[in-house]
Amino acid sequence: MATVQERVISVTAQVLQLDPTEIKLDDEFGADLGAESVQSIELVAMFEEEFGIEMEEDAALAVSQVGNAIDFITKTCAEQGVEV
Amino acid sequence: MRLILFDLDSEPRECFYPLVLSRPIWELRCGMTSLGEKLIARTSPASIAGFLPDYMADVYRENSDWPVNDPTSLAGDDLLLVDARLKVDALDIESVGPSQVGLDEQGRCLYVRVAEADLEQLDTSSLESLLASARDSLPVVQGPLACWNYIWDLILANAEQLTIDFQAAGRSGIEGTVEEPLSIRGSASDVYIAPGALVHPQVVIDAEHGPVYLDEDSEVHPFSRIEGPCYVGKKTLLLGAKCREGNSIGPVCRVGGEIEESIIHGYSNKYHDGFLGHAYVGEWVNLGAMTTNSDLKNDYSNVAVSLDGGKAIDTGSRKVGSMIGDHTKTSIGTLLNTGTNLGAMALIAATGSLLPKFIPSFAWFVEGVVTKGFGKGKLYETAATVMDRRGHSWTASQEAMWDEIFKLTAESRGDAVKRGRRLLYAKHNK
Repeated sequence: MATVQERVISVTAQVLQLDPTEIKLDDEFGADLGAESVQSIELVAMFEEEFGIEMEEDAALAVSQVGNAIDFITKTCAEQGVEV
Repeated sequence: MRLILFDLDSEPRECFYPLVLSRPIWELRCGMTSLGEKLIARTSPASIAGFLPDYMADVYRENSDWPVNDPTSLAGDDLLLVDARLKVDALDIESVGPSQVGLDEQGRCLYVRVAEADLEQLDTSSLESLLASARDSLPVVQGPLACWNYIWDLILANAEQLTIDFQAAGRSGIEGTVEEPLSIRGSASDVYIAPGALVHPQVVIDAEHGPVYLDEDSEVHPFSRIEGPCYVGKKTLLLGAKCREGNSIGPVCRVGGEIEESIIHGYSNKYHDGFLGHAYVGEWVNLGAMTTNSDLKNDYSNVAVSLDGGKAIDTGSRKVGSMIGDHTKTSIGTLLNTGTNLGAMALIAATGSLLPKFIPSFAWFVEGVVTKGFGKGKLYETAATVMDRRGHSWTASQEAMWDEIFKLTAESRGDAVKRGRRLLYAKHNK
């Protein structure tokens, strides 16, 4: 089964239409990966569907780096009893 | 006599969503005035009090001189308690007289007239108690009485009500400023231009089939055509509008493009081209350029409307447009389907396709699906900015009220968000 990191990068690549091998953990979704505000909303929705979780939108949208998103999602999964 | 308008927190009021999420039913408009103003004009009360859902009471108190949800107003005078859904013509009684009760088809009190001397035999501890004890102990007049059942009832009655209200207002003539040439079709006695109103050159007012009332400080730009019956509210601006029959607009609205048989509450903008027909639009709404609604299906069948995202209700009419809640914004090019219920505090980023017929309150419609977007905090910031531009404040009471509306609409929004996520996921995983 793919890791949280692999799944986050895969979803990010799909939404932003990027090569997953070019996405690094310290990349900023906006500044480095070119995510517009609408795509940020899409990313949150896609992460929720990918992991079967609910994220509080203000907290989720405050996450700016890929690595931080992995940590945030891992923590949220643990809080909501979702195995990853 | 004290008139007590009431809007109980019960099932019938959901039939007026999304417009009554943030106001009592008696603040809904039909014709030139609100339902409450019509009931007040009919009954000529010495004083007025109101009972409405608790979550909106503080906001209403900020804007009203009446006692709100105050049980002490249920004593000390002859009372006439009226459900805001009751049609004014159905209140065919003297305001003061023997105690009696009028009911709707389901046996709910639509009005209670109580002589002060009879109050001691009733339970006046709360509005609900008073209504229940009145129904149990006072004579019931033969019913059922006519009442407003759905929000679209008001749209469909608007044109006729405009003519009635114009006659009741008893005004005609030009008291404002008219920059010639102005073309008036029909009888000039069916036109009233109030003091402070300004009509630019090259405007057509067509009163052949109904009266036209331009209220104080309204302004009509060149090449506007206003067909009666029509009411243009105070400080409302028409920008070359093709204003067909049956519109109630304003106050403080900015309207262009084509509109027909629609009701628009105050401080809302439809500045640009695009068609709005048989629609009911709340306060502080902004419709982006080329926002257009359908009000007629291609097969000419009756329009059905979903009030909560569930089963749609047959309106019984071939023409019903959109119901749009307060503070909702649409982007350029938004296409609203026939009978769309577009909630309050929603944000629409159109994709060029027809929108779903139900979009919940607080929805961020992005990439063709309902999402959580940036959440309600961002929507509140925008609401505060918009209101500030018109000299109004976003208050703590309003935020508390909208927080309750957020909770009230959570279920239908949650369902739509989950559906939207699945669609997005499927799209990206094709």
